[in-house]
Amino acid sequence: MGVKLLLEKAHVQGIRSYEVYRREGGYRGAEKAIKTMSTDDIVEEVKKSGLRGRGGAGFPAGMKWSFVAKPEGVPRHLVCNADESEPGTFKDRYLMENIPHLLIEGLIISSFALGSNATYIYIRGEYAWIVDILEQAIGEARANGFLGKNILGSGFDCEIYVQRGAGAYICGEETALIESLEGKRGNPRIKPPFPAIQGVWMRPTVVNNVETLASVVPIINMGGDEYAKIGVGKSTGTKLISACGNISKPGVYEIDMTISVEEFIYSDEYCGGIANGKRLKACIPGGSSVPVLPANLLLKTAKGETRYMNYESLSDGGFVTGTMMGSGGFIVLDEDQCIVKNTYTFARFYRHESCGQCSPCREGTGWMEKLLLRLEKGQGKISDIDLLWDIQRKIEGNTICPLGDAAAWPVAAAIRHFRDEFEWHVTHPEEAQKRNFGLAHYADPIHVPAV
Amino acid sequence: MAKFNETQLTEFKRLVARYPEGKQKSALLPVLHLAQDSFGGWLSSDTMDYVAGLLLIAPIEVYEVATFYSMYNLKPVGKYMFEVCQTGPCMLRGSDDIVAYIGTTLGIKPGETTADGLFTLKTVECLGACGYAPMMQLGKQYREHLTKEKVDAIIEECRKNAVANN
Repeated sequence: MGVKLLLEKAHVQGIRSYEVYRREGGYRGAEKAIKTMSTDDIVEEVKKSGLRGRGGAGFPAGMKWSFVAKPEGVPRHLVCNADESEPGTFKDRYLMENIPHLLIEGLIISSFALGSNATYIYIRGEYAWIVDILEQAIGEARANGFLGKNILGSGFDCEIYVQRGAGAYICGEETALIESLEGKRGNPRIKPPFPAIQGVWMRPTVVNNVETLASVVPIINMGGDEYAKIGVGKSTGTKLISACGNISKPGVYEIDMTISVEEFIYSDEYCGGIANGKRLKACIPGGSSVPVLPANLLLKTAKGETRYMNYESLSDGGFVTGTMMGSGGFIVLDEDQCIVKNTYTFARFYRHESCGQCSPCREGTGWMEKLLLRLEKGQGKISDIDLLWDIQRKIEGNTICPLGDAAAWPVAAAIRHFRDEFEWHVTHPEEAQKRNFGLAHYADPIHVPAV
Repeated sequence: MAKFNETQLTEFKRLVARYPEGKQKSALLPVLHLAQDSFGGWLSSDTMDYVAGLLLIAPIEVYEVATFYSMYNLKPVGKYMFEVCQTGPCMLRGSDDIVAYIGTTLGIKPGETTADGLFTLKTVECLGACGYAPMMQLGKQYREHLTKEKVDAIIEECRKNAVANN
């Protein structure tokens, strides 16, 4: 069993309540931080911990905190990003549903460190019942003196509010989230100015993911240096992985980032292998935006080394033979799955979720969806594959926010690694409607077609 | 034109009070949820104008938000809306079959409502329940690990509730 810092107590009977959470050692971190540490001390501990943003980008959290501007007389805000919308990702939901006080405690410590007197949790609109769970936890924390005026006699005031979104993937992007929090369409802003300088209501704002903010609790409890000893290299601490697709045991697992991908998929402690005794075809290890890898490149890098479940190892080989840790949305495809169809559903998703602000993304995602549907239906041409490649190249890097890249990468990786499956859909249109391409040669040693 | 009752107005005030003075527009998304829940599950232009008036903003500011977010219904929907996820992870676990089964059972296509006004079938994109696929949203709750048998049971449950509530 690996180290568990976030979910260790998640299944203690009644842990959703303040009493049980407190009895199990909860709010010790908040007490320690508010009573014995300065705000700079807390930021320093988070920096030392090496904690990287758990939403997908992996940006060092302590560094993000240190950028926040502190102009005289201007309020600052902490905003918790609970918009969790990346296909394959359901870890924040799991944490909030099971152990909501861990997030609230993390928010109290972080609000204190950043000087946020009004902190907002922006949660995706569909998680309606979790709003009730969080508001219950906030009420309990308030009744016990951890929120409200003069918290623990420190003179620090803080309130936490939960705001529901209303169905928009783009609001997981921090500037779109801020726009939405202001009651507008979720159109991302041009950066700079960064939210740390001008965020919500043009005030300095820090936006962090749920898991990132919950991780602040163990960091304060154990100290940044101790936290940094867990894991490997720049992948410190633990990471929540939400595993789904064709595996025996879908669910949320906390890992310490030292285990191999193979162990994660096949060990009974985690995914329990591929469901129904099938073989592994491909995997998208970090949410739908990150490159899909065929089995061989997933389990071993192009150099033939074991691939591990951490930021560095998953991205070994760049986008040519590697992928990304992303949000930890681990999607597994078995031998019966069709890469073209799977890629099509993601293209449809991104077309649906594009905010429409930037032409390359608004137009490009629509084109990609249409071409992929045509190929999937056996009505495509070989030149459609090249056109797809061309379109994704023209989206990537040419948009205000990363949604464009997120839409381009899965298409690029699917063509890069599975081009012959796309071609087969063109050359065998009737057969492609009756059966899937299967494994073909993907289980062979390293196969990377040049594109 | 429909207006918030006493209880709904109290909730409206609670929502607006969470934002700084003069930033009441920030409450727009939660207030639209409240309005949709209060006025029959959808937002008419009258409702949107009413919300604009309450928040002291121009009606266009409400329209542009209501049309952007997928959870706001701009036309009437059935009493029970089955929002079935069809994105990759759910597709891998058979969501196509679930959508088809619901469609056949209720005699409607995605986007349609049954003639009795009870059910609407809608396909949606990833709802964050990938590990519990296939799934759908029904009101405030998720229904997960769907099978044809479970779908039958849910339809039955809705029909019973509809009778009980009449």
